[in-house]
Amino acid sequence: MTATATGVAPGIGTGTLAGADAPALCAELIALARARGADAAEVTHGSGERFEIEFENEAVMQVRSVADETTALTVFRDGKRGSATINGRSAQAIEAALADALTAADAGVADPANDVADAPSEPATAHGPAAPDRPAMRDAVRACMAELETRHPKIRTRGSGYVFDLGETCFANSRGVIQRERRGAYSFGMVFIAKDGTDTTSANWSGAASFAPFDALLDAGVTRRLLDETERSLHPHPIPEKFVGDVIITPECLTGFVGMLAGALGGHALMAGTTPYKDRKGEAIADARFSLLNRPRAPEFPGGATFDANGVPTRDLDVVRDGVLADYLIDFYISRKLGMAQTAGRTNFIVPSGDSALDDIVASTRRGVLLCRFSGGVPSANLDFTGVAKNSFYIEDGTIRHPLVETMLSGNLQDLLKQIRGISRESVNFGGGRFPYLAAGGVTISSKA
Amino acid sequence: MLDTLRRHAARFAGYTELRWQTNRGQRIGMRRGTLLTNASGQSTGVSARCWRDGVFGFAARHGGDDATIARVLADAADNADLKGTGAGRTGGPLPDAGAGTGAYDYRTARPALSPAERIDIVRRLDAYVAERYPGLVNFDVALNTLSMEKALVTSAGAATYSYVPRANVSVNLAIQANDSVVELYEVFGGFGDPEDQLSDLEATFVKIDALYEALRRKAEGTYTEAGLHDVILDPTVTGMLAHEAIGHTCEADCVLAGSIAGDHLGERVAAEKVTLIDYAGRGPDGKATIAIHVDDEGTPCRDVTIIENGVLKGFLHSKETALRMDAAPTGNARAYTFSDEPLVRMRNTAIAPGTDRLDDMIAAIDRGYYLMRSPNGQADATGEFTFGISLGYEIRNGKLGRAIRDTTMSGVAFDMLKTVTHVGSEIGWSAGGMCGKKQWIPVGSGGPPIKCKITVAGR
Repeated sequence: MTATATGVAPGIGTGTLAGADAPALCAELIALARARGADAAEVTHGSGERFEIEFENEAVMQVRSVADETTALTVFRDGKRGSATINGRSAQAIEAALADALTAADAGVADPANDVADAPSEPATAHGPAAPDRPAMRDAVRACMAELETRHPKIRTRGSGYVFDLGETCFANSRGVIQRERRGAYSFGMVFIAKDGTDTTSANWSGAASFAPFDALLDAGVTRRLLDETERSLHPHPIPEKFVGDVIITPECLTGFVGMLAGALGGHALMAGTTPYKDRKGEAIADARFSLLNRPRAPEFPGGATFDANGVPTRDLDVVRDGVLADYLIDFYISRKLGMAQTAGRTNFIVPSGDSALDDIVASTRRGVLLCRFSGGVPSANLDFTGVAKNSFYIEDGTIRHPLVETMLSGNLQDLLKQIRGISRESVNFGGGRFPYLAAGGVTISSKA
Repeated sequence: MLDTLRRHAARFAGYTELRWQTNRGQRIGMRRGTLLTNASGQSTGVSARCWRDGVFGFAARHGGDDATIARVLADAADNADLKGTGAGRTGGPLPDAGAGTGAYDYRTARPALSPAERIDIVRRLDAYVAERYPGLVNFDVALNTLSMEKALVTSAGAATYSYVPRANVSVNLAIQANDSVVELYEVFGGFGDPEDQLSDLEATFVKIDALYEALRRKAEGTYTEAGLHDVILDPTVTGMLAHEAIGHTCEADCVLAGSIAGDHLGERVAAEKVTLIDYAGRGPDGKATIAIHVDDEGTPCRDVTIIENGVLKGFLHSKETALRMDAAPTGNARAYTFSDEPLVRMRNTAIAPGTDRLDDMIAAIDRGYYLMRSPNGQADATGEFTFGISLGYEIRNGKLGRAIRDTTMSGVAFDMLKTVTHVGSEIGWSAGGMCGKKQWIPVGSGGPPIKCKITVAGR
């Protein structure tokens, strides 16, 4: 803990903070917190602007703009911690944040792991454009609606959005750490179904983020592939019979399975003692073709970050390398709680591509499912999973046969990672992570019959 | 704040909504004596939305002074007029749905709990679990609160204020079974401030005891057999079904996007015993999870009968979907934060109670399952749904048997509802529940126990 500053609790001058830039605001808040008895404090100030054009097949529905400014203050006193978040910067709001955080800390529970981080301050960084190109966004939306009408007449969409977000984040703490970052990025998201008379497909979703405006919105992520697949899914069938076979997990679906794995490799799961990967660092937990890399600073990810919530600069981490568990995902608090080194505070994952073409992986599949979306319950602590294969296709003798309906999958993620059969050369960058197609065996595939 | 908004109504040019909103929340989370989270948050701002030639222009900013209000009104108009977007699909005036008025203030009348008292509640619950169940691998206790305070005026004459709170305690227990760690999670509480929900901790201790006993039996439990089974759904699972599998397909914006419900209006989609209603206010028993009397477009809320005696009767509407479908707005346009626009959302969605007894349902099943808790669920435009099941029991020869491990149930709503043979007489409501659809929103869901056929996953 840093030294305590005490004295008469100072008031907040309305003119003091109203016009201050973010570092000055953060510094002033830390000073105020310490003057009121905090041993240490940290502040994250964020200002953001959003511009969005929302549309359906044939018409723009809404044009929306939002401006907001948030300040999150965490104070530490006698080993106890309290936090408060407000938006705006009126003297009243700032006073409320200070009071709430300090009273929360006073009422808290002492924990030796509570503290602010000591880390190198880095130069401020800027990533992506500082303002949206509104005419380009408008033109892209019009072109998208026209293409949907001419090339995808069976596709119905509503609430699709082309968005530009600008966010500036400033972090400071009482150890003198200060970090600043600005990120501006475009994103596109689209929910859609195919409909032909009364035949209706499952809803599908596609989205991606990019620093540059999308030349064509349907090029975002895997949108074109999913539109084609959805139009081919109007007449789905169940599987012929229950079997144990392969799944080829698409990049958009793999994000969910990677999330399950990351949760089991995270510090909170270690602290809870519920993860099956406890005390297994250095062991092979997956097929040697599988790696999981954390790359929050990758220039390809507008959704990345150069520092984490505790102001610690982010860094590359190989979580799983060639099938071996290389490291856990340990943030600042957990590192102090468990006496481990901090390894991560933010996650932007890459599963490196393999050496197989997707077509060859499909051709080598005797019986299985091209798993495009997995709708399932929360996996058990043991990483058992069960759920329904949505927007997915049945594969037999190396050929994609037909779209599926009411098809359930059950398996175990630990086992699945050891039964990887291939990883594709093709991969997709969604703006916050990059993933290939991954084929694995040993999954029970059943229908309701 | 309502008076401030009223003063700006003179600036309205054409259809306009002007809303001020503050959301306040708190989370106090403890894991085995360690206070992991001790945080509160507040978000305040104003938004304006206008309707021009079939396009909404929306703008929102933090704050709420006169200059900010004037700015969002101007920005909303500019956004609606963004050159080159073209007219919307339906350019006519939005329907007159009546002008909602009144103040609906549900803040607690009890003395406010101090921060220390709130943390002490969590500490006592944590200490109770630690002392009583020392063999657990892990346990988490958290207090979660959310209040939404809104003031709204519209060019249609609506002027209303509301304060709607919700508070609950979540408890997660983990135990070592022979083969793996097994967990069980439960949420206690619901409508009201924490002062209303947590005044009797002894009652929560009893619920924790029941949760532990269910976990112990689950750890000794069996895996479900894959396939179509006779099942009984507990009220919380019935509510999940009502919300996810049926309610979403009957939101009029989803109908316009092509959901299966649009093809079946007026048709039989369920057994005659099934009536499904999206309730406004506090629901039929006054105990529903949320309360809403005027929606965020200023429409007075009314109950919407979605299914009546097995026949699909109606959809949930905003003004825009009502215009598009030549229907009446129903008061289902809701926004989560000040910076969110109103979307078609459910309120308290439930299957209405029937006359059957739970014991009779169990006795009517030779081989099946009693499915009691669903921590999550998803459904899509076809009505196909998937729910995780975290607690349940076998039914063998008309009696409850072994507990089951985590599994998943699935089906197609309008097929599954036709298999309903029993509808219980006592309704139950969810203690929490957030629905995600571009924005989050608090929702209520519930119903009685029902007996039906459903597909259950298995190893």
